[in-house]
Amino acid sequence: MRRSLAFRDEPVFQILLTLFLLTVLIAISLPIWRVFIMSVTPLGYVDRSFGIWIPPWLWSFEAYKQLFNHPAFIKAAMNSGIITIGGLAISMVLTVPLAYVLSSKNLPGRKLLVTIIMVPFLFSAGLIPTYIVIQRLGLVDSLFAIMLPGAVSVWNTLIMKGFFEGLPEDLKEAAYMDGATELQVLWHVILPLSKPILLTISLFYAVSLWNEFFTPILYLNDNDLQPLPVLLRNILMAANINEYLEYDAFSNAPIQAFRAASVFITMLPMVIVYPWIQKYFTKGTLLGAVKE
Amino acid sequence: MKKTLGKISLLVIVLALVLSACVTAEETPEAPAPTAVPPTAVPEKPAEPTAVPEPTEVVIEPAELELWFSGRVSEAAPPPDDWVAYQIIKDELKIDLKLVMLPSSASDMDTKINTAAASNTLPDIFFANRDAWYNLVQAGLVAQVDDLLPLMPERTKTHYSNPARNALVTVDGAMYGLPDPGQIPCTDALVVRTDWLEKLDMEPPTNLDEFMEVAKAMTFNDPDGNGKNDTYGYCAFIDGTGLTNMGLSPRFNWIYGAYGVTGVWNLASPEEFGLNARNPRYMEATQFIANMVKEGVIDPDWPTLKKDDYRAGWKQGKCGMQMENFAALSTKSNYKAFDENFPEGQWDVLKAPAGPYGDVSAGTIINTARIYAVSQKAIDEGKGPAIARLLEWMATDGYMLLAFGQEGVNYTLDEKGYVSTEGIDPAFAWNTAEMQPLTQLANMVYIFSDIELQARYPSYKTINGRTMEPLKYLAGFTDQPWTEATGSGMINPPANAADFTRFYSENIVNFVLGQQELNEETWAAFLEGLDGLGAKELEATAKEALLAANYWD
Amino acid sequence: MKESLARRILVSRSDKTNEAVNLPRLWRKIVKYRWLYIMIIPPLIYFFIFQYLPLFNAQIAFKDFKPLLGVWKSPWTGFDHFVTFVNSFYFKQLIGNTLIISFLKLIFGIPAAIILAIGLYETCFKRFRALVQTVAYLPHFLSWVIMFGVLLMLLSPGDGLVNDIIKASGGKPITFLTSPDWFRFVVIASDIWKEMGWGTIIYLAALMGIDPSLYEAASVDGASRMKRIWFISLPGILPVIVIVTMLRLGHILNAGFNQIFVLYSLPVYSVGDILDTWVYRQGILAFQFSLATAVGLFKGVFGLILVVSANYAAKKIAGSALW
Repeated sequence: MRRSLAFRDEPVFQILLTLFLLTVLIAISLPIWRVFIMSVTPLGYVDRSFGIWIPPWLWSFEAYKQLFNHPAFIKAAMNSGIITIGGLAISMVLTVPLAYVLSSKNLPGRKLLVTIIMVPFLFSAGLIPTYIVIQRLGLVDSLFAIMLPGAVSVWNTLIMKGFFEGLPEDLKEAAYMDGATELQVLWHVILPLSKPILLTISLFYAVSLWNEFFTPILYLNDNDLQPLPVLLRNILMAANINEYLEYDAFSNAPIQAFRAASVFITMLPMVIVYPWIQKYFTKGTLLGAVKE
Repeated sequence: MKKTLGKISLLVIVLALVLSACVTAEETPEAPAPTAVPPTAVPEKPAEPTAVPEPTEVVIEPAELELWFSGRVSEAAPPPDDWVAYQIIKDELKIDLKLVMLPSSASDMDTKINTAAASNTLPDIFFANRDAWYNLVQAGLVAQVDDLLPLMPERTKTHYSNPARNALVTVDGAMYGLPDPGQIPCTDALVVRTDWLEKLDMEPPTNLDEFMEVAKAMTFNDPDGNGKNDTYGYCAFIDGTGLTNMGLSPRFNWIYGAYGVTGVWNLASPEEFGLNARNPRYMEATQFIANMVKEGVIDPDWPTLKKDDYRAGWKQGKCGMQMENFAALSTKSNYKAFDENFPEGQWDVLKAPAGPYGDVSAGTIINTARIYAVSQKAIDEGKGPAIARLLEWMATDGYMLLAFGQEGVNYTLDEKGYVSTEGIDPAFAWNTAEMQPLTQLANMVYIFSDIELQARYPSYKTINGRTMEPLKYLAGFTDQPWTEATGSGMINPPANAADFTRFYSENIVNFVLGQQELNEETWAAFLEGLDGLGAKELEATAKEALLAANYWD
Repeated sequence: MKESLARRILVSRSDKTNEAVNLPRLWRKIVKYRWLYIMIIPPLIYFFIFQYLPLFNAQIAFKDFKPLLGVWKSPWTGFDHFVTFVNSFYFKQLIGNTLIISFLKLIFGIPAAIILAIGLYETCFKRFRALVQTVAYLPHFLSWVIMFGVLLMLLSPGDGLVNDIIKASGGKPITFLTSPDWFRFVVIASDIWKEMGWGTIIYLAALMGIDPSLYEAASVDGASRMKRIWFISLPGILPVIVIVTMLRLGHILNAGFNQIFVLYSLPVYSVGDILDTWVYRQGILAFQFSLATAVGLFKGVFGLILVVSANYAAKKIAGSALW
């Protein structure tokens, strides 16, 4: 595949590079590991310093168990799933054409279009003005209130536009010569070449939708609609407030364990989906193979 | 580039024009004559036929009510769809009740209520923090409730007969909120690790000098005997930032109390009213805390700790003395971690030490209220009587059901009339995790009676078989000199509240940490800075408000 | 058909200006690209409803917003809220802190992500690369509340790992989180730590788009690895770097509310309090929505000026720009 990747070609460079990446790996994974240890710390484990190690036989998965067993957990996870998948579909259907149109250099009115999308990017209307619109549209207490307002991210659109612009112009020209319409060019020529960027942008959208907690708190009153981050937030924030409670349910693990466990629960879908996406990130020769 | 700029501004103008055309067109039919509602409160009572209690039977009109409440256990689910109370409320009160549980974080809650307010879509009745409530009253969104009180005589007797609490929701002589009992007073006070005192062979400190000695010993003499220098004499964190909790927050109130200047405000009399900081003793007390920091007897993380991390600290055996909430310290679920870690450990009430001038005060008593506000919209729609009906039922026939569930299913009453769980299926006991959704509305009915306290804070045995009695801590806390300061809860924030509170708190913290030198000169400069931010005006308006609320009568 | 219609219209007013002479060509172009215009109708509808309608409501920045009167009927106050904001006690400090923190994040954050992306792209160990990549993305998912716990364990002057090392080597413990000298460093470093890996995604996607034949040609010419990175990889992803930089410049007055809100404390307000935390304390919680909206628009004007000038500069220097 990629040429001259062999180690023997540039041993010094590769060794230095590996050392660099190893440093990054350790610098990042050590605190993450610490968060994991935090999540399995059993009650009654006295640890007053940077505890990086608890013997595995002492690990307690009580925090995970209790979070998973929360009566609203499954419903909340499903709501999050609907929001993520539905929102992602809406976002991509709107973003891809927009980015593609913006990337057409000779299109009359293109600058006007860029201006139209840049103005709301720079000037955020703010909480209240947005809320009033959503409320007037009757979207309060609907999952669309979570999926629609942020459906197009200007950031993501411009990144995608940049990628489309980088694609060789002659490919498109060839298709036009064959009598293809713009729509056909986008579908049959551009999109197949753009898998890395499509996946990247999808990932951005999906992750932000999956983690969304603020708009659901604002727009959803019905408890049956609340997504996972709201549930987790309520559980964790409540620990600050429930000092008056006689209630015993969340006392089988330290509160820090609940917090840490909630992080790993939130990461879970990403960890599952990522290897599948990564396959496409390594196909570096995709473009070259098509181009002559 | 000028071209682009020009284009953008042109575009904005054009769009604004187009939009204004669209939105006005769309607004006219939707907004139901907003000018008809007066933006400010109407001083006279509106002529409402149902508001006058008549001896004849009033016909109950069915109503739909939306209630936004703060759940008793906000991490548990709201009441289930087949909750018995729904049916009773529907059958007997003819009310179709829609419940929405507010988010557990106070700021999330404020934001949610404020956005609903901004779009004029507040629910019929809702829970609100006082500052948020005050702003809603100013905006004319919250209704006067004096007329509702006669419609719920029993509830008024149990909930709304405390003049101090009622004053919290009184604006221009009229009540704009329902001040439910907020919390038990005197819940937070000093406690000490008696097992450490014994190990160090020391007596509980009775004055500030002794306190400093004990704190030093607990920091440097390895009171837990683990051979490491990892303990601190005093633990605290900065708790709360509002106008009533400015400065180092209530966790240091007892030190200011030892100098006779506890709390932000001096509320002793109208003549003395003002910021305590103007009293030189306040500077001395700040000096004492600065010394604690300098001596290293206080956990060095204190200025940045959050409540959770702070609590994790004493549960991990870092702390010898602290000011903690009795329930957070001693109820079974909260004590569990500490008990597992240190079965020999023991916390006891530490009477507030006396200061150099002989003053003692464990802190401030601020009578707080859980304010339920009725929206002006609901009153305009004629829902007032239904709201009163619901609340009255909650305080009477519905009280036990909302506080403890169904008798015989979720709880029983023992011979003395106390709530017990004996003789019922333990899976359905009212205080189990699974049954929490049934008592989510309990905060709306609690009056902190003996029955409630006994039920909510029962005694239990520790791992070592010691008996823990949370209510004993509470009794020990209460049985100390406290400084009445309910008035500070009635002081409304000035327009530049964020800057004012920041300036105040930031300076005190920097004095204490030694980032800013503390002497009479710098203190005078600090006071001058406060005046520059309108401290004098704030004091004047606050005094006026307190006089208007008859606070000192 | 459409074309002839256009011509008829043009003929009817062809006597106006000579600019109109160009119109047929423009019209032909428009017809040629008709699919593109149809394609952007849905996004434009979206922008109208969910971006411009709220922006229209943002007029409350110039009004004394009263919920009972609604946006439209609230009385105008002109620039009062902007004046209040600019004259507020900590205004200069807030702007300064926001700009410093934001710029430092930009200056160190973007290169960090680029370097890591190129490193990942160049390594010859595929499995290792996949591992580093995956692990590097994880911190993005940590909330700042969790991060605070981790930072406390690392940096606490009492028993934090870093201070343990400092103490063991004979130094005095440093109060990283509560010292004005160190706070910004902690903010920048923790932000880079958290977002560096996630930031590489964009650059990796861009690197994937570089034509491999360019590398081959360079390799044949005997260019060193560093030279190839410098002369092929970097120019290849330059457009993306420009876009990312410009977009971040547009939001320069957003210095990361969630992070600061969790990490800051009273002793470091003087170096850590930013516009958004102030707006939060003053505007949203204190019901001053008009003020909060005014600050939002203020940030927009600031961002606009920066983006427009940066766009100009980018065109001149890098030959690649946003528009």
